[in-house]
Amino acid sequence: MNPVSRFIRKFSMLLGRKRFSSDLAEEMTFHHEQAEKEFLAAGMSPEAARYAAMRQFGNATRLKEKSHEIVGFSFESLMQDVRYALRQLASNPGFTAVITLTLALSIGANSAIFSVIQGVLLKPLPYPHAEKVVRLFLSSAQFPKFPLNPFDFRDLRARNKSFESMAAFTRHDMQLSGNGQPVELSGFAITSGYFRVLGLTPSLGREFDWNAEIPGNGRQVILSDRLWRTRFNATPDIVGRQISLDMLPYTVIGVMPAGTEHPGNDYHAVPYGESVDVWAPFGFEGNPNQRGSHYMEGIGRLKFGVSAEQANAEMNTLMAQIEREHGGSGWSMLVIPLYREIVGANQRMLLVLLGAVGMVLLIACANAANLLLARAAARQREVAVRLALGAPRRRIIRQMLTESLLIALLGGGLGAALAEGGVKALVALLPPGFPRAHDIHVDALVFAFTLLVSILTGVVFGLAPALQASRMDPKRGLYEGSRGSTGSARQQRLRSALVISEVSLACVLLIGAGLMLRSFLNQLNLDPGFRHDHVLTASISLPNANYKSDVDIARFYTRLMDGLRSVPGVESAGAGSDLPWTGYDENAGGFHFEGKTPPRPNEEAHARYHMATPDYFRALGTPLLHGRFLSDADGKDAPAAVVINQAMANRYLPGDDAVGKRFTFEDKPAEKDWIRIVGVVGDVKDKPNSPGAEPAFWFSLPQAANPDMLVVLRTSADPRQLADSLRDQVRRLDPSLAVADVRLMDQVASESVATPRLAFTLVGLFAGLAIVLAAIGTYGVISYSVSQRIPEFGLRLALGAQPATVLRMVLVQAMRLAFCGAAIGLAIALLLARVMRSMVYGVSPTDPATFVSVLAMVIVIALVACYLPARRAAKANPMDALRAD
Amino acid sequence: MAKKPDLLPGTLDMLILKTLTRAPLHGYGIALSIKRLSDDVLTVEEGSLYPALQRLLLQGWVKAEWKMTETNRRARFYTLTAAGRKQLGVELTQFEQMIAAISRVLQDAQEA
Repeated sequence: MNPVSRFIRKFSMLLGRKRFSSDLAEEMTFHHEQAEKEFLAAGMSPEAARYAAMRQFGNATRLKEKSHEIVGFSFESLMQDVRYALRQLASNPGFTAVITLTLALSIGANSAIFSVIQGVLLKPLPYPHAEKVVRLFLSSAQFPKFPLNPFDFRDLRARNKSFESMAAFTRHDMQLSGNGQPVELSGFAITSGYFRVLGLTPSLGREFDWNAEIPGNGRQVILSDRLWRTRFNATPDIVGRQISLDMLPYTVIGVMPAGTEHPGNDYHAVPYGESVDVWAPFGFEGNPNQRGSHYMEGIGRLKFGVSAEQANAEMNTLMAQIEREHGGSGWSMLVIPLYREIVGANQRMLLVLLGAVGMVLLIACANAANLLLARAAARQREVAVRLALGAPRRRIIRQMLTESLLIALLGGGLGAALAEGGVKALVALLPPGFPRAHDIHVDALVFAFTLLVSILTGVVFGLAPALQASRMDPKRGLYEGSRGSTGSARQQRLRSALVISEVSLACVLLIGAGLMLRSFLNQLNLDPGFRHDHVLTASISLPNANYKSDVDIARFYTRLMDGLRSVPGVESAGAGSDLPWTGYDENAGGFHFEGKTPPRPNEEAHARYHMATPDYFRALGTPLLHGRFLSDADGKDAPAAVVINQAMANRYLPGDDAVGKRFTFEDKPAEKDWIRIVGVVGDVKDKPNSPGAEPAFWFSLPQAANPDMLVVLRTSADPRQLADSLRDQVRRLDPSLAVADVRLMDQVASESVATPRLAFTLVGLFAGLAIVLAAIGTYGVISYSVSQRIPEFGLRLALGAQPATVLRMVLVQAMRLAFCGAAIGLAIALLLARVMRSMVYGVSPTDPATFVSVLAMVIVIALVACYLPARRAAKANPMDALRAD
Repeated sequence: MAKKPDLLPGTLDMLILKTLTRAPLHGYGIALSIKRLSDDVLTVEEGSLYPALQRLLLQGWVKAEWKMTETNRRARFYTLTAAGRKQLGVELTQFEQMIAAISRVLQDAQEA
């Protein structure tokens, strides 16, 4: 049989559906009459003949249904089910609203989290064959990821056999002038082949070649698509033109296409994404035999068939070779796939969030199943009637599943809308510089995920009630229905189990949220070592072309500070090489203290080195512990003076009074090589969640000039109002300078706790949703069981039981559910402690206080949830109960 | 009431097709004809007759049209199509092969 003609015939029958039904009806009537006639002819009474014919014919409805099934498309009966389900849902708006809303919230939350996961973890990196791209670091026990020395890099590049191409890059911001307002551009100095490693090619012009790496050849630049469009009107003849960067002429040799994403970097980090505007060639200047300074980030593309581990092994061999040739302190190399480097730190947090939100969905499923079970009990009679009329069980199950799927899809649709808004809120909550945050959208894949989750949800929460309903014995169903069913024990058990699992999952989430809250508060409340209120900060870079000497640099900043001090409202004005809590990581090693034996080669003293103007600490509010701050007296020709932090004093001068002690970087120091400690200031950690402060010292700016400084202004008024005065003061000294990154220190501080805040906010939200759902579930089960037992309670009260006794009976039932759920939940939380350990700060993942308060909370909520039903039970009127029976 | 033997599964379609080889019949007529020809041994339940007829219609093995009976009553008459005649041949051959196979087994069982 040709399936096509069969389909056509089926289809024409579908179109003539009315005709088909009337034909069938007429045919059966005819059959009926003929049979009746025959029975009459055989001598039966007319009455008896009619009944005999009817009996012989059997279930006419069933027959019709069977005929319809044969000729009909299955979607037709599906449409019937859908229409029926819609009628059912519309007739019960309260039920439909509760169940749809809870599902929408949890499906929406899942979709929102999934879109983050999809954007950050699942979407491939925007480089061809990104799996071959790796990042290269030096590594030691103390510094697991350390930047490379340029000459080490050049040797590694020349000698390796693992990489198709290898490149290095380092932060090199530039000031663009001569075409409107001067702007500070985020830029990188890159070796040749940088874009080849990433698999990208310029849309105009070309990449830097080897020639550009030779010092003096470097006045070339590649622009980002954005910069080309916004500052140069996208003119196609930009290649070959000269532009003014840092007050020097640079020749544009290329433009990168839109979508050229920065692969991220550690040292003076720029966020991932289209965050870079200019690339200049890196010139290998200086003495190739001095390899002490490390500031290059390495990146490489592996050859086909070479794994990151194999490359790592080769790099270690080469590095050992290089250290034999030039000396070194025993560095090993670290080769990490780019993907792991980018998402590594956030993968765990995102997966924990996905787990949390998945639990919410499970709870919502259990809740929906519970509500459906309760309603199935109320609909027992309807189902019994349909079964008695010959509806096959299969059809009943399908009908019930259609209903639950419809609810789930309704919830999913609403959830998708919520997700759209939720994702926006989520992205706003993400810590600044969160890798790939710009890749987070609600896209087709997220919608597909939402649809899939909705369907799965519908099946999961609909299956139990559907099976339960279809398993019913129609006779008993009709009987029970008429008596106000007591609900089978099995059903009650099932519903209790559902509530217990709801409570236990809610418990896990509450504990998670509690731990996150405590670590967030721990980080927020710990003494930062500085006061971030009432402080405005901004960054200024002095171009080398106009500020050639240390004297020029020092003079500019001294004059700027003087000018700023005179601005009304400014309490103190300082400048430093960095701001607290921004991950500054410049290290100096190899110093030793006067009167102490110099350390052995592998036990070199290390400390962070900074530069600061005299009022830097005053403006930040970092306390002076001993001695004095830096002052204008610590000028270029004065003896070298530094302020150190408490951590440096404790590490290298324990038990001594550090003030007045001297240290040096020279093996055979002359008098001028000695650096005197003039003061000790309080500790500030690198990041709020760093385990401790690192040793650090601050040079006086004129003695170690630094062209790029961060200005810190403390005011008694609103620091925002100082921004214009700051710009004015800078313009007065040099109109070609850009004032960049004008921010409140409060902002900097708040961004540094953005990750724990995000984790706490989300898990807290999920936990809140979970506990509300669990409360609804508990209320539903208790309330239902009370309504079933009203006659019993009434009878007890009539026989002299105290209302308090009845009240207690209900409470005990609720407490049993709550305790079972809480016990399981606490056990799961204990098992999950290992996962949580890396996400909490200053609190144990098995913190007893958190566990106890969650237990208390669950019990209180269970009490609240069963209060109304318990009161109803205690007020049961024996007469009503008897009448209802 | 003594239980009547059930039809062998899959034979109803064949019986209907065979009945229709002689003349077009309405549903009741088909049921009656099968009952008479089998000396009341085979009873076709209406509950299976009409769904079976729909199935045959769908396969294109029979055609249906409304006509008048001898008693001037409107009834739906089923006619065998060429495809139906071919199908009947196929089913008969299969059925005979099966019967032959079954009786060989039964004979063998008796001789043993």
